[in-house]
Amino acid sequence: MIIALEIGLLYAIMALGVYLTYRVLDFPDLTVDGSFTTGAATCAILLVSGAPVWTAMIAGMVAGMMAGAITGLLHVWGNINPLLAGILTQIALYSINLRIMGNRANVPLLREGTLFTWFRDNGYMKTWFSVAAFAAVVALVGIIVYWFLGTSFGVSLRATGDNELMARSQGINTGVTKVVGLMISNGMVALCGTLVAQYQGFSDISMGIGLIVAGLASVIVGQAIFGMTAVWQAVLAAALGSVIYRGVIQIALNNGFNPNDMKLISAVLVVLALVLPQWGPLKKMRRQRRRRQAAEAGVA
Amino acid sequence: MLKLDAVTKRFFPGTVNERVALDAIDLTLHEGDFVTVIGSNGAGKSTMLNVVAGRYPLDGGKVLIDGRNVSRTPEHRRAKWVARVFQDPMAGTSPHLTIEENLAIAFERGQGRGLGMAVTNAKREVFREALATLELGLEDRLDMRVGMLSGGQRQALSLLMATYARPAILLLDEHTAALDPARAELITRLTGEAVARHHLTTLMVTHNMHQAIELGNRLIMMHEGRIVLEVDEAAKKTITAEQLLEEFAKIKGAALSDRTLLD
Repeated sequence: MIIALEIGLLYAIMALGVYLTYRVLDFPDLTVDGSFTTGAATCAILLVSGAPVWTAMIAGMVAGMMAGAITGLLHVWGNINPLLAGILTQIALYSINLRIMGNRANVPLLREGTLFTWFRDNGYMKTWFSVAAFAAVVALVGIIVYWFLGTSFGVSLRATGDNELMARSQGINTGVTKVVGLMISNGMVALCGTLVAQYQGFSDISMGIGLIVAGLASVIVGQAIFGMTAVWQAVLAAALGSVIYRGVIQIALNNGFNPNDMKLISAVLVVLALVLPQWGPLKKMRRQRRRRQAAEAGVA
Repeated sequence: MLKLDAVTKRFFPGTVNERVALDAIDLTLHEGDFVTVIGSNGAGKSTMLNVVAGRYPLDGGKVLIDGRNVSRTPEHRRAKWVARVFQDPMAGTSPHLTIEENLAIAFERGQGRGLGMAVTNAKREVFREALATLELGLEDRLDMRVGMLSGGQRQALSLLMATYARPAILLLDEHTAALDPARAELITRLTGEAVARHHLTTLMVTHNMHQAIELGNRLIMMHEGRIVLEVDEAAKKTITAEQLLEEFAKIKGAALSDRTLLD
């Protein structure tokens, strides 16, 4: 189970990125499948060519931000539907990612020094120590996201996703907030890609396929369990959702499913998380809870 | 302050459904003018406000604010001078943001939005003071999400958010029409107070004749994309709802008989 914790925490950074677009901007961004691999590919090829770890990771993140900017501009300037804009970028990135990796489908990192070399050499991988270290990094990223959403720019980003008409009438350039939001989100997704590539010891052209579903599963499952009323709650839920999601996958693997079934399980999980809350008894429970909160807050 | 110069707006141009919503409208508001706008459905009242706000691009003519031609200025940049309250109480506020976050957005209208905290303790004091003028007790619920408020409370908040940054032009689009009579009364009173306090130049669309007479110093009546009646400050003081309805029937009748003749 420790391995599920490690992987869940690594992917939590991606889940936080998906939270920014899917929940905050109300923009279901499918760029993620491509930009994740872009981050991994950029980082891997730079590591192989001898660049320092931090340079390779920052470059991967910047490449992901550029991918997000393209989706944003397609939507804002080109008036292309959000889903379609994301799919177009994602498909284009497939070719670009292959080119980044020198027209190879796979770049191994087995002999390169990575962020995790120190952990591995000292036997810290798959221990509670590595879990604590990963959790600290995720907490730091989560705090940055929380801080950002409370700044003037962050609040205008949230208003853009919440009520665009109001945002524009209050002087918010919603085109800019959307593009910047997509850049930050995809930057985080790509950063996650650089981490995963180093963790598993290779970058692969197909490593991002279906990842958006894992991201959505993390956000939706996490927020169904931990709530999303306050911003800190929603951020925490996205990160913990990722750990829960990987836990569920791990349990499925331990019970006779094979890795090829994982995409199906992910999809079913997302469908359940989206449909279950609409189920009568659960709905009633939520309504009661809301009424109680309203009463406590003094609104009849 | 605000000048519309032969402003024309067509919907669905070049199709069989083409409709002239604004037909070369001329209108000037001087500083401190409060003009109420009445007219039947489809007269072009809301279209006129949307054209001033920059939501719809023009098909002809010019919009000038403070002598500046803003005809091509996008909506979010015009927000520096133009503020609006919509008919839908849900439209003017952001439901998942707290009261203080909504106010923070409104108070930074026309400024850059950087990485400073949107809400600080110093700002909270300012927000509390401003909310107290609404007399709804919202000043004690700064961290409540706006979606939890009633329609009337949300509209009062929208009004505060529109007026606080002292816009050059305030646009009110039937902003009391969706409220129950008591709430509508409250918002009407708050509107009068806010406009007087900040000496705002205001353009208000309303379906309520009494409200149109009660508020403001000038009145215009629109019909089929044109301004068909202008009541100036002196005349507005004595005009009654009955007289307005009479005028309205006359103009409508004339338009109808014109059409009958053409057919």
